[in-house]
Amino acid sequence: MDGQGLRLQAFLRRFFRPAGDPNLARINRRRTMFSFIARRMTVLKLSLFIAGYVWIFSVPSSQLDRGVYFDENALQPGQVNTYWNWKEVHDADHFLGELEILRDSNATSEQRSQFIMSEFLRIGLPASTQNYEFTGLPKGLNGTNVYAILRSPRVSGAEATIISASWISRVNEGDGTLNLRGVATVLALSRFVKQYSLWARDIIFIIGDGYMEGMQAWLSAYHGVTQSNLRAQRLELTSGVVWTALNIDYPGHSLSHLGIFHEGLNGRLPNQDLLNSFQHISRRTGVPVVLYDHKDELDLGWLPDNIRNHPEIKTYAAQARNLWRHVRYQASGRGSGVHGLFHQYRIDAFTIFAVPAAGPHGFHSLGRIIESTLRTTNNLLERLHASFFFYLLTSYDRFVKIGNYLPSVILISVAMMFGGLQVWVDAAWMERRHDKHEEGSTGMVWIRRRRPVLEAVSIVLGTHILGAACFFVLSHKWYQSLPFTSPLLWVAAYILPLAVPRFFPQNITDNVAPLSLVLKAFNLCLSSTVISIISVLNFSLAACLAVALGIPLSVASSSSNGAMGMVRYTMYIVLGFGWLLLDETRKQMIWDWDILGVWLLPFLCVVYYPLSLQAALVCII
Amino acid sequence: MHWLSCRETITLCIVLRVLFALGLDFYLSPPTSYAYSVDNGDKVVEFINNGPGLLSASSPLTLYANLKESLWLYQRGMDPYGSGIGQVGSPLYLAFSFFPTIAESGPSKTQLLSKLFGIFLWTAPDAFSAWFLVRIWKARASTSTKSSSSSITFVLPLIYLLSPYVILSSLARSTSVWENAILLGAIAWACESESEFKTKPELNNSNSKSKSLLFLALRVHLSLDALILLPPLILLLLGSPESRLTEPGPFGLYLRSTILRAALNVLFEFMVYWTALALISTLIVGHWRWMSTTWGTSLSLPSMTPNPGLWWYFFTEMFDHFRPFFLVVFNVHLLMYVAPICIKFQHDPLYALFILVGILATFKSYPTLSDHGLFIAFWGIFPEVYPYLRHPFPTTLVLIHSALLQPLFAHLWLSHGTGNANFYYASTLVGACAGGMAIVDAVWAGLRIALEKHGKGELKLVEGEEREIVTQQ
Repeated sequence: MDGQGLRLQAFLRRFFRPAGDPNLARINRRRTMFSFIARRMTVLKLSLFIAGYVWIFSVPSSQLDRGVYFDENALQPGQVNTYWNWKEVHDADHFLGELEILRDSNATSEQRSQFIMSEFLRIGLPASTQNYEFTGLPKGLNGTNVYAILRSPRVSGAEATIISASWISRVNEGDGTLNLRGVATVLALSRFVKQYSLWARDIIFIIGDGYMEGMQAWLSAYHGVTQSNLRAQRLELTSGVVWTALNIDYPGHSLSHLGIFHEGLNGRLPNQDLLNSFQHISRRTGVPVVLYDHKDELDLGWLPDNIRNHPEIKTYAAQARNLWRHVRYQASGRGSGVHGLFHQYRIDAFTIFAVPAAGPHGFHSLGRIIESTLRTTNNLLERLHASFFFYLLTSYDRFVKIGNYLPSVILISVAMMFGGLQVWVDAAWMERRHDKHEEGSTGMVWIRRRRPVLEAVSIVLGTHILGAACFFVLSHKWYQSLPFTSPLLWVAAYILPLAVPRFFPQNITDNVAPLSLVLKAFNLCLSSTVISIISVLNFSLAACLAVALGIPLSVASSSSNGAMGMVRYTMYIVLGFGWLLLDETRKQMIWDWDILGVWLLPFLCVVYYPLSLQAALVCII
Repeated sequence: MHWLSCRETITLCIVLRVLFALGLDFYLSPPTSYAYSVDNGDKVVEFINNGPGLLSASSPLTLYANLKESLWLYQRGMDPYGSGIGQVGSPLYLAFSFFPTIAESGPSKTQLLSKLFGIFLWTAPDAFSAWFLVRIWKARASTSTKSSSSSITFVLPLIYLLSPYVILSSLARSTSVWENAILLGAIAWACESESEFKTKPELNNSNSKSKSLLFLALRVHLSLDALILLPPLILLLLGSPESRLTEPGPFGLYLRSTILRAALNVLFEFMVYWTALALISTLIVGHWRWMSTTWGTSLSLPSMTPNPGLWWYFFTEMFDHFRPFFLVVFNVHLLMYVAPICIKFQHDPLYALFILVGILATFKSYPTLSDHGLFIAFWGIFPEVYPYLRHPFPTTLVLIHSALLQPLFAHLWLSHGTGNANFYYASTLVGACAGGMAIVDAVWAGLRIALEKHGKGELKLVEGEEREIVTQQ
């Protein structure tokens, strides 16, 4: 070994095994390290917060995403000759005409379903109807679904694919526009696919009544799930395990682009390969694809020209618009359409949305694309892979991988965790003037104090129990029928916690830490835990939480001024429970919870409101 | 804050638990017009095992469905151990066939009563456990302990009975809640047994030693892993349950010959009970093969059903020809801790027992949530070490993370289909980290407390103003 190597070795030995007591050295090293971190904690926290927020807002940029690719080679999208032709278009037009007559004669859903069922039967498919009724709602919600099953000609029906259309289109989240062309497409498709023997699994055609509720009733009955407020007829015909589902939405009279809607209930997403195959096939066929219905460019007229026309800025604006829409669908947990109901049963599903336009495409292109997509899913021998469920689509052909978006929220969560730990350590120590002055000392000493853990834990538990009680009241069926319930509940949720400081009188002593510090430490650590755990389940919700809670909870502090404390308390309560006073939002959330089982309402009540309530209590204790 | 005596606390908690179980049952049962069959609370079990307690609430050894299947076979005169799948652990569990509510799931006229009885059967052991915990605390609390004892008797039942770990296991009707009660009974009676070292004659009871050994024999009979708790329990029977952490020293004042004889006596008594239980079991089923499924399972890991432990993933990944070797390694790993812990904490055997309970919960082959619940509840008995813990807050945070991640990742894997086995295993590793951190901290604090009290602890870390050694970060 040369001299340099020996010197390095000696240096390393000196560094790791200094002279003297090795244990003492180890302890000293650890202390130095901790104090090094502790002294720079504020800077560290701040930089983590800034890094996290900057990262969140740079997710739409073109630097973090990449082009899509196929993970599953068996899909072979667009490798087949399609047979859908003008004869099938004629069929679809014929069905459309019949449906329009039904629409104009104000047919009931019973009559409609009888007509569609008779058409299925005439085609030669076993078909049936299913009546359903949601009970316990202010106004009744009932209808009739129709479905038909094409038995697989090649294998026993252990697996199935669904092609569905709901009676009401997803335009403006189901505002009542009828999806007549979508239904006609499904009918024409059912007639078309029956002619071929190449299907390796059963194909189920469903026309769901209403917008979301019909499909919810059908899927619940198919999978044997009971829902306490749903009376759904049992299905007469069944098939095997459903792997994929395509939902067709065609509200206009022609289409220019095909839009992809993919967000499911409670933040679930379908396998990305399915979406990739569809957009690949669609573009091969000649129909441009967009994400959602964003076919026109974003209007950035308020920006100067040279900034507006910069390609990077243009991409960022377009992708940010897509992502913002995605965040709204995913964080609300409601999903972006009928396809969202499928994901809870492990079915990969998305909606093919025909963006209404004056042209140039119609039944011809749509049919070919659906046929080809169906044949692609037909190729699968096993379920789509597990690794392709975590993604953010920034555009129809670009996506952000999990490693490129998850750290943004985790960084904020780590910053909150560090903040919580810092407060926890701070609570244990107090600087006090030394009684007797010794030479060389500054006159101040640090003394330890006890931390009131049990009290803080009971406050935390109490807030969550209060949240659960609020949820119980909100989800009760009388809530909607009685007047003034929301303001009353809000006032109750505002007033009741004010009693907490009375239960925990603060006697300011030197050996007990103030309760507010311990509560704040718990609050920050709990919020950090919640955010980082939610981030794998529903990234958008976690990002919203990180933005809503990150900085606000970190700056909560008790105030000696009573009025100032009350102002802060009110602000935190508004932050945590303000959504209750938004009439439409609240009604929508209650409906979503009652009918579809969307978790947002219980989450807001049992987790989110208590977290901000704890911060509010920090201010007044 | 002690408004309630421990009896009242236990009663209140039990009432809450029963109401909660009934409410859940009511909420989950389908509307009457859709009731296809009458069930005896099985909906709740199904809900827990597929919902919040997925994979974690019961292990194959303690699964309620296995118990039911074995009972069904037994009552129809078939061999419950013949099928090869889904047996109940020990033949003694077949005693449940005296209770009609589990065995029969047909419609009954007194449906609510049988439901209540089913809930009672799986809540009663928790009540016993809480009661035993309080008794252990009372035996341990000596006169020198501060007046906080009354608050502890109030908190102890709370942290056991209202712990989500215990509630989930109880709602899933995992037989592990019975095992916990039996183990705690053994410890409680060991604490109260007669010995020269017990300073509280009013607690002494000559029957206690036998009761304790019988209960431990029963617990070991039900699942073999509790065998590692035998040495500290023997120490506890011969020694004192009182807190001697501050006065470390050799065990007791016995002469070597006396202590050996006493220990051998106790061991012999234990073996007699254990053999008797094994004989009874053999008489019940009529053959010896139950041993391989009851005791062999926890040793040889035949079912690799995912559970919150560390074994299953390791053995799934392994080539089969390494299996016997690593089975030995994993089992010896568990045994490895017994001697050092018992030697180091010979002055306070209850503390050694506590640490071994933690080791068992973290490293045994088929752990469930209730094992962790037991370890957590045990912490309540040792308030004197709290000031010497190094990182209680980070440990708690890691524990909370794992407790929330486990059901979440189990669902991502099994019901959403978006995750895979690695997700769940990662979350159980986080749980094992929390367990490991807690055990290390318990050992540290248990040893550190003696240094502090004796003034031997002046390690002179920093010269000058700071005499007190910072243990808590």
